[in-house]
Amino acid sequence: METRTLGATGHESTVLTFGTIALKWLEQEGANQMVEHVLDYGVNHFDVAPMYGDAELKLGPKLRQYREDIFLGCKTQERGYEGARRKLALSLNRMGIETIDLYQVHGLEYEHELDEITADDGALSAFREAKDEGLVDHLGLTSHGDPALIKAAIERIDDLETVMFPLNPVVAAKDDAEHDYEGVLELAEEHDVGTLGIKAFAKGSWPPASERYEEDRPFANWYEPVSRPDEIRERFDFAAAQGLTTVVSSGDPKLVSMMLDAADRYDGMDEATQRSVVEAARHDDSPVPEQLHH
Amino acid sequence: MGWEDPGTGVPETVRTALADQPVAGRTCLEAGAGVGNTTAGLLEAGARRVYAVTDDADHAATVRERCGDDDRLVVLRGDLRQTPLATDSVDLVTAHALCTVLDPPALADVVGELTRVAAPDCHLVVDDYAPLPVDAAMRRLVAVVNAASELADGRPALSFYPSTLLRRLFEGHGWRFDRETTLLDPVPWTAKHLRAHLVLVKQSTERLPPDLGDPLEQRADRLVDEVAATSVGTMYSLAFHQGT
Repeated sequence: METRTLGATGHESTVLTFGTIALKWLEQEGANQMVEHVLDYGVNHFDVAPMYGDAELKLGPKLRQYREDIFLGCKTQERGYEGARRKLALSLNRMGIETIDLYQVHGLEYEHELDEITADDGALSAFREAKDEGLVDHLGLTSHGDPALIKAAIERIDDLETVMFPLNPVVAAKDDAEHDYEGVLELAEEHDVGTLGIKAFAKGSWPPASERYEEDRPFANWYEPVSRPDEIRERFDFAAAQGLTTVVSSGDPKLVSMMLDAADRYDGMDEATQRSVVEAARHDDSPVPEQLHH
Repeated sequence: MGWEDPGTGVPETVRTALADQPVAGRTCLEAGAGVGNTTAGLLEAGARRVYAVTDDADHAATVRERCGDDDRLVVLRGDLRQTPLATDSVDLVTAHALCTVLDPPALADVVGELTRVAAPDCHLVVDDYAPLPVDAAMRRLVAVVNAASELADGRPALSFYPSTLLRRLFEGHGWRFDRETTLLDPVPWTAKHLRAHLVLVKQSTERLPPDLGDPLEQRADRLVDEVAATSVGTMYSLAFHQGT
């Protein structure tokens, strides 16, 4: 599988990152098989979070077995120093490992949060301290929120090494500042910040609960995903062709194999085809940023 | 094809087609304004004035609603076979998905008119759809659209011209060829496009006796289900200029 340099971290990440939230829906044996399956495709970048149910615990056994082969991203929604230190320790403990390769401020949505994390007693000071202690190797940030806020974070946080944000044809077709994640991508490249794309496979928001209850949804995703192999391949190719370092797989385990196959076969997407994909989505509703709380 | 709701923003196809054109500070003609996608693109790219010409009252109203607060815009209802602009008065002409809705006699007249209004150093961008593959369900739907309009009006509603044909036609009128770019490959035929094709069929069949019109409508309905928002064919962009 193609690899790309993850900004200033220097890590050669596979163009697909395994979103380990998929493990949440599996029993331990299935989770083990899933990790083996993902590794068989050569995927070397995993992303996890404590809020993904028991995904950290289920990832643990295979993560420890293959620790050298996996670049592990984890994240915290804590904004202050104390909370971030505590959550980092919990994540390390739950996974049974010594170091997290990439620790990310998760889900930045509001401007005041940027002030909080960059304050003297903010989460980033805990991240930096953990870095000095060898508990964390690199610092990152994720957001489904205002692209201008992510850009401000790139400008303000000198040692930020990665950003994770939504990018898909539905978003790319929206011609307004609220959806300008392409601008984020450009600024990140300028600052040598690695880029992780989420929601690449989003087709739209789920219908409201009055029409379809959460338990009746056919996929364990926060949004309604594309689900046919050709659609998944098209969406993967589009996201990868935008210049993201890596595209994060979506949450439903039923879709992971198709995403692995798409990433394995990726050989670019020409500009006319990219425009075609955007044009087809130009009148679709965006699942971003309505569903912020991933 | 300019039938969809305008939505927001300028489509990437339009931006791509205009990217290498001298728009800023120029007097432009959007020939066949549709819903104003190219008009919006020309205004965004800094045109000094844009004449958006269309023979369709709904389209004229849509363009006015969408871009009408820009005092550089003049929306004109008129027939491009008798373009309501002075000779040598335009610096840049755009024809985005226009030729497809012109049958061959109308195309010949319109090309002559676009050439007449062009200033000596005028540039021209012609974007359109290549003929669809023979086995494409979308092509069969177009065939029904055209069968209905041939029966009702004696002319096809849609004609898909190869880029080589349009290139030679404009070159024959003295335009110098600059480049060809592929804008879309494949072309997404969205649900909105398909509904627009059905509207075209109904516009023709309501003027036909039921024994002729009804089967065509039924076939169009079936084909829309068969096409079901597939992507097929290509959209190209040709650029030309006047002078040396």
